[in-house]
Amino acid sequence: MNAIHRTGFSPAAACDKEPIHIPGSIQPHGMLIAFTSDNFLVDQISANCASFTGVKPEDVVGKPLSAVLGDEGAQWLIAEIANQNIIARPVYLGALKMPNGSFFDVMVHAWQGLVILEFEMISREKAADFRLLYPLITKFVSTLQDANEIESMCAIAAREIKNVTQFGRVLVYSFDHQGHGHVLAEAIDTGYHSYFNQRFPASDIPQQARAMYVANRVRLIANANYTPARLVPGTHSVTGEAIDLTYASLRSVSPVHLQYMRNMGTLASMSVSIVVKGRLWGLISCHNTEPREVSFETRSTCEQLGQILALHIDAHQERTESAYRLELRGMLVSLLGALSQSQNFVDNFSMVSHDLLRLAGASGAALIFEGKTTLFGATPPEADVYELAQWLATQMTGEVFNTDALSAVYAGGSAMKDVASGILALSISRHHKHYLIWFRPEVIRTIDWAGNPHLKSGQDGAFQALTPRQSFELWSETVVATSKPWRQSEIDAALEFRTAILGVVLERAEAMAELADELGRANKELESFSYSVSHDLRSPMRHIVGFTDLLLEMEAGRLSEKGTRFLRNIKESARFAGKLVDDLLSFSQMGRSALRTSEVDLNALVENSVSKLQSEITGRHIVWNIAPLPPICADPVFMQMAVQNLISNAVKYTSSRETAVISISARESERETVFEFKDNGVGFSMEYAHKLFGVFQRLHRMEDFEGTGIGLANVKRIVERHGGWVSALGEIDKGATFSFSVPRNLPTEEGDAHVKADTTR
Amino acid sequence: MLKPILLVEDNPNDLELTLIALEKSKLANEVVVVRDGAEALDFLNCNGIFNKRATGNPAVVLLDLKLPKIDGLEVLSQIRSSAKLQSIPVVMLTSSKEEQDLLRSYQLGVNAYVVKPVDFGEFIKAISDLGIFWAVLNEPPPGSIRANRRS
Repeated sequence: MNAIHRTGFSPAAACDKEPIHIPGSIQPHGMLIAFTSDNFLVDQISANCASFTGVKPEDVVGKPLSAVLGDEGAQWLIAEIANQNIIARPVYLGALKMPNGSFFDVMVHAWQGLVILEFEMISREKAADFRLLYPLITKFVSTLQDANEIESMCAIAAREIKNVTQFGRVLVYSFDHQGHGHVLAEAIDTGYHSYFNQRFPASDIPQQARAMYVANRVRLIANANYTPARLVPGTHSVTGEAIDLTYASLRSVSPVHLQYMRNMGTLASMSVSIVVKGRLWGLISCHNTEPREVSFETRSTCEQLGQILALHIDAHQERTESAYRLELRGMLVSLLGALSQSQNFVDNFSMVSHDLLRLAGASGAALIFEGKTTLFGATPPEADVYELAQWLATQMTGEVFNTDALSAVYAGGSAMKDVASGILALSISRHHKHYLIWFRPEVIRTIDWAGNPHLKSGQDGAFQALTPRQSFELWSETVVATSKPWRQSEIDAALEFRTAILGVVLERAEAMAELADELGRANKELESFSYSVSHDLRSPMRHIVGFTDLLLEMEAGRLSEKGTRFLRNIKESARFAGKLVDDLLSFSQMGRSALRTSEVDLNALVENSVSKLQSEITGRHIVWNIAPLPPICADPVFMQMAVQNLISNAVKYTSSRETAVISISARESERETVFEFKDNGVGFSMEYAHKLFGVFQRLHRMEDFEGTGIGLANVKRIVERHGGWVSALGEIDKGATFSFSVPRNLPTEEGDAHVKADTTR
Repeated sequence: MLKPILLVEDNPNDLELTLIALEKSKLANEVVVVRDGAEALDFLNCNGIFNKRATGNPAVVLLDLKLPKIDGLEVLSQIRSSAKLQSIPVVMLTSSKEEQDLLRSYQLGVNAYVVKPVDFGEFIKAISDLGIFWAVLNEPPPGSIRANRRS
């Protein structure tokens, strides 16, 4: 067994260049005459004419046709030609009696300004009888219609052609996309070697032969050991060139091909082209160990059978393809329906992963979208898929990429060959590296070649390159690291899916824009709401406080102690509610107003904050350890609020300490400046640290420490609007440390939009 | 003769508290009270019910921002665009420290902008500070008269 990667075999270059259409000779089982239709004078004639007619070629060249065919024969022929539309494809004119009494079938065709007559000797006197053709074809068609698979159609054709031609072996094979022939059906006599299911490498049939097989649908080599009959003269009298025998059935074939036949042990061969949609789909290849002549009517019958087979194959492929496309369309519709189900693009994919895989006939898929890799089914690990996507980004120029042998093109492919020997990748964004990739697992296959195809080439020199291969012995090749190939219809469906996804992605972008609009509107509403709150909710609080104060003042003497206390409670509550409104407003303002950055001296802000706290500080023993603080770029008003909050917190939560120690320091790194506010107060449990910076989050009872629970939320909002972070460290009764950072490259003024955009995420 | 203080206030509670605060600050000026923006402009321009009043501008206008009919900002803007009135000191008294109101007021040429504090003690202090500064300390422009307090 040989383990190789499938690469495709280099065709024998020399073979591809051999001018097989102008061999300058014919096979000797017939005779050829070329003339120009304007004068009916023999221009070229095959040298074997002597053996058929008794005339020497040199004696008749330049003479009228009657010199060869006799007056009667020539008149009949000229009259027949006048009645026919002579085209490139040979037309059967009938049987002709030569002056020497022998009978010939006569075929005529016109090619490149010449009329070419071909004569094949027959034993009968009458023209070929095609009456038997009709029932034979009727039977053939009805049997073909019962076949559901291409293979069984081919088997029927092989049997029928063998019947008609009596050849020892008839193979029907198709060409794959690389040009290798795959034997789909076979009919053989005992003693013949079987080639069923084997492959003939593409190099067995050179390119120009394939082109000729489309033009000329039946070719017979009656005896591989024949001696060619050359044409006399060798070139055309007017053009001076060798005659093009593309359409001539007697065309002499390449000596390489004859050797190939002898190597294969077949002295007679005939091949019938299977042409589907103008392309050479395959061949019906007939072999016989002994030489065998096949009459024109039999060849015609085979050609008809070949065409009928081709039509049935075409229809079958169309049916299969359209059924398949219909199924794909159904899947596509259900997929797209699901994809527009919810806002979350990636989640939608997860819901229909089964259909997603079915669409491309894959066993795994990956969606690389907005920096996230989502896997479905059997795939390589996420990291490998990500790597693959990076590679794809450098490889893909179009919308789609596919391979059935990833490891042959991608270095990381071998490691993932089990699940991803084949990939079909779609780029699903015009601007981003977003991909949808389908995976197919490795399928280890054994290909049986009719002889080792690798031996044919690689011999030295042009002379050797024209040597056909020697061996047709079974040679098995194991193909690894290869998946089932991607069908064109699967790639087409993927591309259609891509178009639809792009639509969904686009729609998503639109939805995002709409959402942004809506957010903007909601924000505006919120703004006007908080505006009303600030005016309308604050006023009654103020009134309650004001009138309670007045009452306490005016009626001080007449109130009971309890009454006075109640009034004080009312006043305090109203005052607190007022403060709550104030704090909430400043919090909402913080999110709305623009940052106006400039250089800020934190030392001054700290000093200012401490002086504002004078009333709280009076009578307390506080040790301030304030290190020199570096200047930063920030919004001074907001920064003042943040510092004020942190210092007032430090003062507040150290109130129970005989000696409060409050330390403020800073450290600078390349990227940011970090400020630290440390106190020896009551601290907090780290369990609740995450709640500290939330709005209305309080960790202490109101009686212990008054506060609205907005202060730290404000600090966080201010710092984050500057692009920095906040953190809190503490332990119950052991003090607390609050830190915040301000980036050093904070843009001033015009860069504000960027900071704002960040906070709205 | 001291010129009057024009107080423009629509909320009766605020009006009462402001008057008490002014009283407590022991200012000698008369206080003229009007209840909306239209009335304020009528007073200043001697129109409508004020067409009989003695001419002359008040010492200071204490102007609430949110007012019926014509709001405080509009009143301020009309004062500043009138040749006769433009030199009158205007103090905006408001419930809110909304940035946009503050900015707009300064753009229109307000002399001071006071957010009424929730604490009444602070409010009294703010009012008396203002009164002393604008009504007592400021040199009255020529042609000022003392008006009778109306309320």
